Amino acid sequence: MSPRQPRILICGSALAGNLVWAHEEARQFFDGLADLVVMDSPNRADFLVGLKSGGKYDQIVGIYRHNTSADRIGVFDEEIIDALAETGTVKWIAHNGAGYDQIDVSRCANKGISVSNTPGAVDDATATTALYLVISCLRNYAWAEQSLRQGTFKSGLDPGRAHDVTGRTLGILGLGGIGLRLAHLVHAFPMRVVYYSRNKSANAPEWCEYIDSLEGLCRESDVLSLHVPLRDETVHLVGEKEIRVMKKGSIIVNTARGKVIDEEAMIRALEDGHLSSVGLDVYPNEPLVNPRLLEFPQNVLLPHMGTENQDSQRHMEVRALTNLRDFLRDGQGNDLIPELRSKL
Amino acid sequence: MLPCVLLCGEIEYVQDEFKEMFHGIAEVVHLVSESRSHFLSSFEPDGPYEGTVALYRRNTSSKVIGKFDAPLIHALADTSKVRWIAQNGSGYDEIDVQACKERGILVSNTPRANEDATATTTLYLMISCLRHFSMAERSLRSGTWKTPCDAAQTHDVTGRTLGILGLGGIGLRFAHLAHAFPMRIVYFSRRKAESVPDWCEYVSSVEELCKQADVLSLHVPLNQSTAGMIGEKEIRTLRRGSVLLNTSRGRIVDQEAMIRALEDGHLSSVGLDVYPDEPRVDPRLLTFPQCTLLPHIGGESAESWRTRELQALGNLKAFVLGGIGEDIVPELKTGIGNSAIL
Repeated sequence: MSPRQPRILICGSALAGNLVWAHEEARQFFDGLADLVVMDSPNRADFLVGLKSGGKYDQIVGIYRHNTSADRIGVFDEEIIDALAETGTVKWIAHNGAGYDQIDVSRCANKGISVSNTPGAVDDATATTALYLVISCLRNYAWAEQSLRQGTFKSGLDPGRAHDVTGRTLGILGLGGIGLRLAHLVHAFPMRVVYYSRNKSANAPEWCEYIDSLEGLCRESDVLSLHVPLRDETVHLVGEKEIRVMKKGSIIVNTARGKVIDEEAMIRALEDGHLSSVGLDVYPNEPLVNPRLLEFPQNVLLPHMGTENQDSQRHMEVRALTNLRDFLRDGQGNDLIPELRSKL
Repeated sequence: MLPCVLLCGEIEYVQDEFKEMFHGIAEVVHLVSESRSHFLSSFEPDGPYEGTVALYRRNTSSKVIGKFDAPLIHALADTSKVRWIAQNGSGYDEIDVQACKERGILVSNTPRANEDATATTTLYLMISCLRHFSMAERSLRSGTWKTPCDAAQTHDVTGRTLGILGLGGIGLRFAHLAHAFPMRIVYFSRRKAESVPDWCEYVSSVEELCKQADVLSLHVPLNQSTAGMIGEKEIRTLRRGSVLLNTSRGRIVDQEAMIRALEDGHLSSVGLDVYPDEPRVDPRLLTFPQCTLLPHIGGESAESWRTRELQALGNLKAFVLGGIGEDIVPELKTGIGNSAIL
């Protein structure tokens, strides 16, 4: 009998053994490196019991985590991080997703647990989603589709409210991987691209104009698209003040996290027409959607589809598993999150 | 006495510019007819359209006076001095250009004016179909969040093959936008286009185009040779799971064949802006939730409306002033030497 290998926990959705696409890759990556254990707890209590010495998740050294696991065991808050730390063996959480606001990363830092995410793998699919929202808001396509399906074809639609994409100004808040990819896609029309980031981006092409304040960005944008992660300092980053500085008739697109916008301020601005429409893929309290958003036929509302397609989902799983494998093999995964980089 | 120009369809966005353009150049008469017979009898002396030399035409006029088919063209030629029809729109399939050719009436359209807007609409339809976004929006608005959307059925845009039928202004513009991802671009046109970027790969037949494309997009005008050109054979040559986009004219596609292919899943979805018999939409199309259906708004933006109106009016004015305008439709270009001049 071979010596007992380290164990890694696959902590995803309840379907299909927790990985959706990358079963073959998982087998290949960890063959001879680690045993895979599937997290099958129906609730948090069962999960915490399983982590204890002698429990079903005993001797786990690394975890593959997907946000869908929160449906059963909740987010990786202080309680769970502490329980993981207490095992003495868990040292790496490989998160599947670019946004890791569901993990208490400062607690992880405190307890010596590393966290990786999957930047890059989400960029194309999320930027494509943002592009769709930008185009649809400017041209009122959502309204038009609703009108057709209600049997009124195009009567009732006002072409004067629909605008070309070409020549309008896209303001990008946060020029990371996704923001940069969106910039590239709209540059094909071209839209004029302006951006604001905490730091001026070294990678930005010369046609991406840096603006040195959020207020300045709002003033210049016909369409403002949000691409910042959710952290304490980005909650309600776009609020009443920022929205009112935008031109009348402007559009906000959000594929980042719902809480980055002050939803009440946004709805007020829709009600008085200051914002002509919003394109959203995320909401403060998913899957709940504020019903008032539905009252505006010109709003384009997607149910967090950002990376929902089989091609990107496969990339993301593989990326997260790669981080986990590299941790096991080399002691470190590539996509260690920024907050933890300075600690090493 | 000033010549008359007749508006068969109203000017909506450039009324001020319009007044200025024709001030002192022509009398403007509006369509007051409520039937075809009234229209046809109104060019005679003392009729409301007496003295009309040129028409501005919108497709909306067909609701009242019918399309500009051969009988109408012949009647116009017989009873009026009309020798120029300035169509607002790039599609002029509602005008019988052969009859116009026979009778020495020239027709202009407004190519280019809605290329960007229409290509943008095609891009929207493509993203929506590949990612099932239309279905997702409806699912959210009906209160079921993402259910029943299934990520397993959807795909990235990047890396897929886009097949373009007809690499004219709109097709090329759409190719450019798709190339940003990038998609692989293949195309078929009656003639291999000359100034085409090297990333547009020419294929020598519609059949070959269908074999290669993950997404097939139609950008040919509707005429006798293109009606029904995408039928059972072409659709079945596409790979199973392909996507069909149409922002051109509904009748280019055999709708029954298309619906059969949706029913058995051979086509995973279709993205349509046009239908054979607008504004009627075959109710069966609404039963395929993954499809994206727009009500012929492909070229409809505030900006393109202005551009189109100004372009058509410009052609009208040039004819009135100098006997010839621009944007003569391809079928009539060779007849220029014979055109009637004021």
